[in-house]
Formats: sequence, C-alpha cells, structure tokens
Amino acid sequence: MTEKTPPLTDERLVEIALDGDEEAFGLLVRRYQRRLTAFLSQLVGDLELARELSQEAFVRAWSALSRFDPRYRFSTWLFRIAHNLGIDHLRRRRLKTVSLYRTDAEGDEVEVIAPDTEKDPLGHLENHALASELRQVIDELRPEYRELVLLRHFAGLSYQEIADFKEMPLGTVKNKLFRAHSVLRDALADFL
Amino acid sequence: MATDCQATQEMLTELGGEIERLDQVAQHHLEVCPGCREVAAAEFALGRIFSEAVPPADPTIEKKVLAHLGPARIRRRFVAFLPVAASLVVALLGAVLVGGVPGGGIVAFLPGWSAQGWMAFVTSASDWGVAVAAGARATAATLDPVMLAGAGLLGFLGLVAVAATALRWRRVSPWRNDG
Repeated sequence: MTEKTPPLTDERLVEIALDGDEEAFGLLVRRYQRRLTAFLSQLVGDLELARELSQEAFVRAWSALSRFDPRYRFSTWLFRIAHNLGIDHLRRRRLKTVSLYRTDAEGDEVEVIAPDTEKDPLGHLENHALASELRQVIDELRPEYRELVLLRHFAGLSYQEIADFKEMPLGTVKNKLFRAHSVLRDALADFL
Repeated sequence: MATDCQATQEMLTELGGEIERLDQVAQHHLEVCPGCREVAAAEFALGRIFSEAVPPADPTIEKKVLAHLGPARIRRRFVAFLPVAASLVVALLGAVLVGGVPGGGIVAFLPGWSAQGWMAFVTSASDWGVAVAAGARATAATLDPVMLAGAGLLGFLGLVAVAATALRWRRVSPWRNDG
C-alpha cells in the first residue's frame, strides 16, 4: 500500500518557486485562482475584469515573491495584493464615472454597483431570482460587513485569516460576521 | 437573546450551520432551543448558496499567468547566471595566474608560434596530463610559491562555485505529485 503524501504547504511552494521553479507557482495559481476571481468579481462587480485582475495579482505576487515573509500566510498576502488592485481599480473608475452612493436604513453610505448581465459575477446561477436577491443584499450590506462577507464566502478565508488580513481582533471578526449573517438570513429568508 | 443562544449562533455562523461540528454544550443547547435550530438550518442553506455563488474556475488562467512570467523569468535567469559567469572568470583568472591557457607559461612550451604550433597545442590540451605538467613547469619558473598557492585556491573556489550553481539548477522539485 502506498502512503499518500500530504500536499505541500503554500509557504513550501513559495520556497520552491523562489528557487526558480515556475510550475510550483503554477500550482499556487491553481489553488487560489477561483477564490481570488470570486472575491475580486464581487469587489469590482465584473467577472471578466476580475479574471484580468486575478491574473495581474498573480503576476505581481510572482514579482514580489522574494519579499514574501514566510512568517505570515501566503493566502492573506495574496488576497491583500488582489484587494489593493481591486480598490485601485475602483478608485480609477470613480474618477471616470459618476459615483453611485445611497444611504441605507442605518444611515450609512453604501456603494451601489449596477450589474452588467454579461459580466455579472452571479450570472452562472441558474436561479435568477436568487442571483438578483443575493446581488442586492451583498450590495446593500454595510461596507464593513460586506468586505468580511466577501473574504469569508468568496475568498474562502477562515476567520483567523480574515483577522490577519484586516489586522483586526478575531473576536471582532466573529461579531461582525455574526451581525452580517443576521442581515443575510433575513434578506434571503425566501431562499433558505 | 440569551447568552447561550448568542454563543451557539455565533458558532453556527462560523461553522456554516454544520451542527455536528458544534461542541457538546452548544449541541445540548440546540436540542432545547427551536430558535437556534432554525438559525442552524438557515446557516446551512446560506452556506450552500454562497458555495454555488462562487463562479466556476477559469482553466486558462494558469497558462496566462505563466506566460506573463516570461520577462520575469529571463531577468531571474540572468541574475542566476551572474554567479556562474563570475565563477568562470575567477577560475580563468586562477588558471592564467598559475600559468595555464592562454598564459605565457604554457605557450613557451609549445613547439612554435605558428599554425602547426596551435594544432599541437590543441592536441596536447586534450591530454590533461600534458597540459597540467606544462602549466606546472611554466608556473614554477615564473611564480613564487605563495602567489601560486593563492592562484590555485582562487581557481579551486571558482570551480566549486560553478559546481554548486550547476547543482542548484539541476534540483528536481518534489511537489509534482501534489494536487
């Protein structure tokens, strides 16, 4: 009977990639591309653009790989690069277009991103009513909740990884996500 | 909301409604609390919705990313080649100082400064024993022992550096079976 070796950690793959092995980096791309694209697609509201930004995030990560500190998690480092790219893109877009903001029930300013059906990040969902409702509820979440929901459910980060990413106490992450889920459960009650 | 409900529902949120992953205290609470059971079911359904909401993977992205690494790869290989080039220079410097090719020492022992002479050199160079002996005799005539030892050490270090770099390039990655 052959023993199955456990998959190499991200940090080990980074070491191997730093030795010049691009295929090791390719494996990291395979591991993270779906989650990275999902996260970015919700952040920028455009799946095609999210794929391009994901690609750029990986290339930037490769270029900066020698500066990666292995004491930290590769996942949070990579998502930080992607997040910064997404935010930079949104800032540039705001400079070019009229901002779409409105005030939610709690008096907070929330951003509204108009969905483009061809580039819709939720366009693959067969249940269109659910996709529409989910899109709306995510867009209407308070920004501080929305970001944590994206990191948790689209980036697939653990609570601890989110705490590292946001440099926020773990308890605060738990509390905010709990409150965000309460809003989500109410808004999506018809689909639960 | 009772403290038990708050704690249980926070756990349910974190665990995506998977009640079997709750600790015993929370599971006992769930048995007697319909409100928390309702939250458990809702959280489980919410988890499924989010897992379906993640867009499908793009199978081409890895290829595209690796293609973009080209320029970076060339830069990286150039940088990796620098120690090899430096080592070769050091090795050559050592060989010249010792009186080796194409230093004056060995030339003095060639049959003549002519085409035939160079042909003879090429022939003799293929025989390392002859070349080394010629180099050693020329060196003994032109260099003092301290300088000779230093040059020999320099050449040796250069060859070690070349070998070390070559081994680094040959390293086989152990991850290829990893999924």
